Amino acid sequence: MPLSMVEQGDIREITEFRGQEEMKRHLQDLGFIKGEKVRVVGENPSGMILLVKGVKIALNRALANRIMVAD
Amino acid sequence: MSITIALAGNPNCGKTTLFNELTGSKQHVGNWPGVTVDKKDGVYKKNREVTILDLPGIYSLSPYSAEEIVARDYLVKDKPDAVIDIVDGTSIERNLYLSLQIMETGIPMVIALNMMDEVETKGDKIDCQKLSETLGVPVVPVVARSGKGLKDLMDTAIETAQSHKKPEKLNLFDQDLQNAIAGIADVLGGNNEDESQWKAIKLIENDVVVEKAVDPAKLAAIKILVEKANKNARGDAEAKIADTRYQYISQLVKECVKKAHRGHVETKSDKLDKILTSRILALPIFAVVMYIMFACTFSENFLFIEGLPSPGVWLAGIVETMWGMIAEGVVGVIEGLGASEWAVGLVASCLDGIGAVAGFLPLVLVLFLLLSFLEDSGYMARVAFVMDRIFRHFGLSGRSFIPMLMGFGCSVPALMASRTLESDKDRKITMMITPFMSCGAKLPIYAMFAATLFAEGNQTMIVFSVYMLGIIVAVIGALILNKFAFKSDASSFIMELPQYRVPTIKSVLIHAWEKVKGFAVKAGTVIFASTVLIWFLSNFNFSGMCDMEESFLATIGNGIKWIFAPLGWADWRASVGVVTGWIAKENIVATFGQLFGNVSEEVVEAVMAGEEGLPAIGQVFDQVSAYSYMAFNLLCMPCFAAVGAIKREMGSWKWTLRAVGFQMVTAYVVALLINVIGHLIF
Repeated sequence: MPLSMVEQGDIREITEFRGQEEMKRHLQDLGFIKGEKVRVVGENPSGMILLVKGVKIALNRALANRIMVAD
Repeated sequence: MSITIALAGNPNCGKTTLFNELTGSKQHVGNWPGVTVDKKDGVYKKNREVTILDLPGIYSLSPYSAEEIVARDYLVKDKPDAVIDIVDGTSIERNLYLSLQIMETGIPMVIALNMMDEVETKGDKIDCQKLSETLGVPVVPVVARSGKGLKDLMDTAIETAQSHKKPEKLNLFDQDLQNAIAGIADVLGGNNEDESQWKAIKLIENDVVVEKAVDPAKLAAIKILVEKANKNARGDAEAKIADTRYQYISQLVKECVKKAHRGHVETKSDKLDKILTSRILALPIFAVVMYIMFACTFSENFLFIEGLPSPGVWLAGIVETMWGMIAEGVVGVIEGLGASEWAVGLVASCLDGIGAVAGFLPLVLVLFLLLSFLEDSGYMARVAFVMDRIFRHFGLSGRSFIPMLMGFGCSVPALMASRTLESDKDRKITMMITPFMSCGAKLPIYAMFAATLFAEGNQTMIVFSVYMLGIIVAVIGALILNKFAFKSDASSFIMELPQYRVPTIKSVLIHAWEKVKGFAVKAGTVIFASTVLIWFLSNFNFSGMCDMEESFLATIGNGIKWIFAPLGWADWRASVGVVTGWIAKENIVATFGQLFGNVSEEVVEAVMAGEEGLPAIGQVFDQVSAYSYMAFNLLCMPCFAAVGAIKREMGSWKWTLRAVGFQMVTAYVVALLINVIGHLIF
């Protein structure tokens, strides 16, 4: 399912990214790789805040929709 | 022997703090060619032979942003003698990803493990010895904020640079990938093994920039090898490379870092974020922060107290008064010496030119003290995130809000504030549209027209509508620039939210000082030269000094007035007003006062405040053409001080001219539409 559906406080494993190569590479650089467990620590109208490799990352819903996580 | 050491690291790893600690005030800030990315270098405080270069903060050496391209081009092509890679100890896993990539370039390298105080506070322990042995790179623990460990770091870095000791090859990749890298490096050839290997890895990673630079004759052979690597990696060798690096790092971290707590512990930062980025409170809190910032810099009724100037306005007043006195004194002395009228005029205009620069400095200083506080504290990243949803519709970043809001006070510091934007594209677009926000100096123009040509009850509405017009044109301008000039896909937003930290006074001061100095030096020349030029044009003709009515400027005004005929004001005096407005927009009122009936200074003051009209301008303007004139002056090239700021920030004349061209065309089109449609309706 898309990362955008994950509720605050949940931890999920990234399975896939559906989008442009360029963004995929940037996500990799920030620690979003297949099998990585990310935790949703915050949500607001702009998007969501995640904890990835111990770092807080904010992203908008358009992007969160394209990152797939394990159910 | 002189040595160059580059600082590299993730954004927010404390790189700038380290740079400031190492170089003190001996730094030089410029632009990397072609992009609005800071290029900072300085001399090491304790050894003048050592030059330190602060590379922009990056997450990797892939070409995602202008910053990343600039940094890696420098590392690979210019090759510093050594690189200090700053790793934030509190997020070591993510930070080491860049370290592994820098190691691949084969440049002598030292890792500065920063924020060790915070690591200790958390109760974690990092075994630097083991980290260093495993990576084959010296690792020095430091606390950049307090300066702890920096001597040790620099000694190690200088030693590494002098011995040309390259990082050891880690050979992380499996046999398939290693074969592919070796194969591609072979095809590339060249006499630098490190460089061809680095390029080979980048080519497997589908790096477009590196690919473009490859000899086209070799490309086919390389493509076959990359294809083979992909096949061996189940379709995606690039992902496999990233995965291999991260797996290596997580094993390394397991061995070298002892965590006090397993899993995530809620920190103070997390608690603050619950409030500052919350669904309900985020925007109101931001509005309050912005109000305070604006009021501190520009307000004439600070803290709602009538007539109390804000720190910015107060300082600007002092500087202006002092400069006025100095200028008057100097002019008096020259006059006393019996200098000719034109010499006195030239000196006075030069002093005015310097005064124009000096008058802006306090505003720049105050705004940047506040801005760098917000930036260093980590709040600015939240602002970008919270405002993103609104600004995305216009193709801008959430951070564009700050320069645009400050634009209502003064374009000069506002334009300089665009430096806080993340991407080169956003910075350029924001700079092009920020002058559309009606600054304080443009108000007297509206006041003059409103009081002269519009009914009492409509005056406020008219002035307000001009402000709104600026905002609307800015939004449309941003959309057009995004669509046609920059062609970007702006649908995704992703950004790190650094931990909240109390900024050090030193770094806030250095940042503000840099801005003031940069403005005074870089923008100052533009402002000074153009002020003197306009003075010359408006006071001289071929037979010498004269009144404005007979000057070169009047001749030029007469020559160019046909251009403005479609806008509804084909009058030489109106054209001259546009030009004198470039020195400072409020000059238009004084020019009109002089050219339309030669009224006294008191009348000009009253007209500026909107207390009195200037009936003579009715000869030239009706309500529609007056509105067209206001719109034109709102949107056309801002004052020279602002153009100087654009030049300073864009770092190139080409982009400065593009920005000014865009503003001129926009002003012309909008004023034309107003005149044509207005006269159809009224």
